[in-house]
Amino acid sequence: MDIDTPDLMEYFLNFSAAVTGFSRFDLLGTGQASLYFSTIEGIIGGEIFRELLQTFHELYVRANSENDASILTEGITDEILMSGKLGPIASNIIKLWYSATWYQLPDPWREKFGARQNDTSFVVSPYAYPEGLLWQAIGVNPPGAKAPGYASWQYPPSVRLTSPKN
Amino acid sequence: MIIKSVDCQTISNIVYDVVIVGSGVAGAIVAKQLSEQGKTVLILEAGTSEGLTLEGYQNNIETFYGALNKNSNSPYPLNPNALSPTDNTYGYFQEKGVLPLSGSYTRIVGGTTRHWEGKTIRMLPEDFKLRTNYGHGLDWPISYDDLMPYYRKAEYEIGVAGDTEEQKEAGAEFIDGYVLPMKKLPPSFLDGIVRKGIDQIEEVTIGKENPETIKLKLSTFPQGRNSIPHPDYQRPGYTDDQLIKDNFIPEGVASVHPVEYGERCQGNANCVPICPVQAKYDARRTLSTIAFPEKVHLLSQAVATQVDINPENGRVTAINYKQYKNISSSEYTVGTARGRLFVLAANAVENAKLMLASNLPSTSGMMGCNLMDHPYLLSWALLPTTKIAGTLRGPQVTSGLSTFRKGDFRKEQCAFAMSIHNDGWGWSGTGATDILQDAVDKKHKYGAELRNELITRISQQLLLDFMCELPANSSNRVTVDPQYKDQLGNYRPVIHYNVPDYCKKTMAYARKLSLQIFESLGAKDYSHYDKSDPAYFEYENEGYFFRGGNHFAGTHVMGTTKNNSVVDRNLRSWDHENLYLVGGGSMPSIGSSNTTLTLAALSFLASEQMLRDLKA
Amino acid sequence: MTNNGYRLIHTVEDLRYYLIQGMKIEHATIPPYLTALYSLKPGTNLEAFHIIRAVVVEEMLHLTLAANVFNAVGGDINGVLTDPEFIPEYPAHLPTGSVDFKVNIEKFSPNTVETFLNIERSKEVDKDAPLVLPRPELNPWLRILGLEETYTFYSIGLFYAEVIRGLQELHQEMGDDLFCGDPNKQITPEYYYDGAGEIVPVYDFQSAIRALRVIQEQGEGSRQQTIYDAERELCHYYRFQQLELGQYYSIDKNNPLNSDSPDHPTGKTFIVDWDAVYPVKTNAKLSDYPEGSELYDAAKEFQQQYYAFLGMIQASFNGSPQALIPAVGGMFKLKESAERLIRNPIPDMEGVNAAPIYRWNKEQK
Repeated sequence: MDIDTPDLMEYFLNFSAAVTGFSRFDLLGTGQASLYFSTIEGIIGGEIFRELLQTFHELYVRANSENDASILTEGITDEILMSGKLGPIASNIIKLWYSATWYQLPDPWREKFGARQNDTSFVVSPYAYPEGLLWQAIGVNPPGAKAPGYASWQYPPSVRLTSPKN
Repeated sequence: MIIKSVDCQTISNIVYDVVIVGSGVAGAIVAKQLSEQGKTVLILEAGTSEGLTLEGYQNNIETFYGALNKNSNSPYPLNPNALSPTDNTYGYFQEKGVLPLSGSYTRIVGGTTRHWEGKTIRMLPEDFKLRTNYGHGLDWPISYDDLMPYYRKAEYEIGVAGDTEEQKEAGAEFIDGYVLPMKKLPPSFLDGIVRKGIDQIEEVTIGKENPETIKLKLSTFPQGRNSIPHPDYQRPGYTDDQLIKDNFIPEGVASVHPVEYGERCQGNANCVPICPVQAKYDARRTLSTIAFPEKVHLLSQAVATQVDINPENGRVTAINYKQYKNISSSEYTVGTARGRLFVLAANAVENAKLMLASNLPSTSGMMGCNLMDHPYLLSWALLPTTKIAGTLRGPQVTSGLSTFRKGDFRKEQCAFAMSIHNDGWGWSGTGATDILQDAVDKKHKYGAELRNELITRISQQLLLDFMCELPANSSNRVTVDPQYKDQLGNYRPVIHYNVPDYCKKTMAYARKLSLQIFESLGAKDYSHYDKSDPAYFEYENEGYFFRGGNHFAGTHVMGTTKNNSVVDRNLRSWDHENLYLVGGGSMPSIGSSNTTLTLAALSFLASEQMLRDLKA
Repeated sequence: MTNNGYRLIHTVEDLRYYLIQGMKIEHATIPPYLTALYSLKPGTNLEAFHIIRAVVVEEMLHLTLAANVFNAVGGDINGVLTDPEFIPEYPAHLPTGSVDFKVNIEKFSPNTVETFLNIERSKEVDKDAPLVLPRPELNPWLRILGLEETYTFYSIGLFYAEVIRGLQELHQEMGDDLFCGDPNKQITPEYYYDGAGEIVPVYDFQSAIRALRVIQEQGEGSRQQTIYDAERELCHYYRFQQLELGQYYSIDKNNPLNSDSPDHPTGKTFIVDWDAVYPVKTNAKLSDYPEGSELYDAAKEFQQQYYAFLGMIQASFNGSPQALIPAVGGMFKLKESAERLIRNPIPDMEGVNAAPIYRWNKEQK
């Protein structure tokens, strides 16, 4: 099945924005979107990837048409993250954006849905590493890249919590 | 300009003035000093020489970026022909001791400075008389004063950034008018937070028999890292105490184009294992600033296997080596390097291993004995979120406590220095990506909540390390055993290591001190010393683990006679008059100082004697 | 040195005016070089990356050296770099005799390399060229004092030749009073040691000449039919030509005469991957981006960052040399902001990505 259509790339970006907490501009700004898309597809196959993106897209459309964001947030949790089939893939997509690393899917998933040949843990490309969102999320440079400049470390960090934590 | 790479054919026809084994900081300094006095030099390097070009260096960075496990040797391709110990990852060391030595070094051109952190701390005057002053370990045959001029040379060569006044407070001595070549690296924001907690504690006591009060005060560590040149710097002159006004400017490293190297530290936060802008000194800088590079030949991928001796006079006649074609094949050819003087500069473990492999245990029988390292106790916590600390910024360490480096308590328990880690918990085994995995996989966090979770659990990380002095003890040692060889048929080091109560007592003390600091910061302790850890031990019913410091030393100690040591005060072998063993292996004690600066100073000292020998 | 009867620099004021123009010229190549540099996909075209980066770093050095001379002769740098006219409006003619090409802000491409070659070629000093030439098109940001607006210097080399001559004559007339600037405003190696050559603090006639010669010589091309400059470094022109030819030149530093001859490199060959480049919009304007979009905001933020960056550089030239350190940090941030823009497609423009905008337009608030 050819899933490499512009529509699915759109779904992928919208899904990624929802689960990573970064905007589409930020995601595209990493320059890694198509590499990640093809990496995921190459490992888990087009069918299951499409299922994930379709599931998300339907929630996204419904949330928009009913103007109810909770459809999306609850749906992401209930239908995707908690799903035995889609959950581990969704988690892997988050980790991929955050650390440029594909982590081998958990054993229960591999047993139930079939081990994939290329499903090993690896950094998808050396130059994806500095684009990991983890470092942006905590307001630092990826160790070994994108240095902030001499003496920058003596000043307060740029990052702050977005809502009061207990 | 770069030193000349040669092949086996070329060197088979040459008798060099000096043959050096190893291109790390010790070997590079000797090569530079001797070649600049007109001597011909051959360096045998077991590892590869990529990294001498900008392109090679770029490859190392790329390899690091692409590595799943970003360990201390991750920029360098795994080389089964000359394995590097990497925290037990590749099984190079054969650990036979009660506790593991662990740790790592790098067998590649430039040696372990290719992954070192860069702390360049002088030892203290009292460290040179550990046995006399405190009844532990060994004394040196030379004093701090003897070494002082060479410390200045080492500080010039490495380009040390640091605050001379702070070092004086810690107990180091300097001649009048001297300052370190560059200003100190500014303390991190995290240091500032910790400072507040430490200032509240003010002082603590240490020692049971004669309790001493020690004031807690943070200070920075000198580092081999480019900062701002000190306008008052004066470089070493031509006589011991002479100083010459010098506008210090750090020199470069790789050879492609002058703008591509030796920049000011930019806060890449990746000192170990690789600085992408080469702000950190490594031995390639010494190799690439040799005034007469054509006098220095480099044979890389050549593992020294055997030191040949003339049985009549004990003089070294040659060093045999195996040169492999590439790292992916175990095919090799054998060759022989001839010279007037021979220098082993392959680090404490490899130097001893090579001598023992050559069946040269020395008259004293101390070859390989007295293996030292700094065991580190780690303690880690999360700071309260009332103020975001922003951990993971800046050089890996900027400040710490140097107030426990000296004192009479050293009769009972060892000295130590504490570092505040700007790089978070990584060394404890829980890195930022481990937190990410836990937050996503186990806690099912996503979106904005995930971002908050990461800030709470990473940006607030505080890890303190306590670097403990380990005195020389002959049962801690390197040996060889025909059972344990690598794929070229060369010996792998067999390690016998243990940590005495003298150190464990300090580790237990340090742990309590860390809890006191955490408490005054309102930080929550997360330290967990798992029983399954190979370096786990118990002391007075509490469990701990330690981490190796990679400061290997003592395996061919210097001393006053051929019966109590392997080398003399000039690092020359007692048994083989044209053989020098340089590096940390010659140090009879290591104090609470990372070893590189001291072994660099010793390399300058030894070079002077080598020149005298070559004149004779 | 050419002297065909003109003397253009009569007063210290004139000298300061020319030094400001010098700073503008040095800066003018930076946005096009940087944009091409940032358009390279990370990890690809490392040769191009290092070649362009090295040239940018040298242009920064020249800017700093010109500022040192300007400060030494008592110039007031406040407002010079933050003047909206400090950045030309691209596409722009460079203020040299060549009018057969314009400089764009655009992605790395064979055309861009051609432009870079033109920029560097136009810096050559031809021995018998006249000092100034009339040229058909007005360039409003380099006016020659005392001449009609349609006159311009034939080359940047000649421009500096004239500055040096003016400095010499003024020094003869005024003596050391010429160097009335505050010595604390000099950028010294303490704050600038890792870029492209030696920074020369200027306190007197000798150091002023040295600083200007560094600019003149590093920028100069192949006037003696050699590929290297006075420091035995490859000239900018031939550095860029390596990208066109896909081969490095080799220079024998011990005996430069053994170096490669122009147009015939013998060093390592490499392949330039012209496709491993983001398709950035040429001479982008803010109006190219949908108002209210993240893209628009990011582009605007970049403009502000760049303006702030020039402000920091200016402050560092104005008695706060330590400000150069955060300015360098600011430049790293600019790179990341630019890269984020360059990787984002512009909505409704098929296959065209955003680009950073450097110049602060007057109509903007």
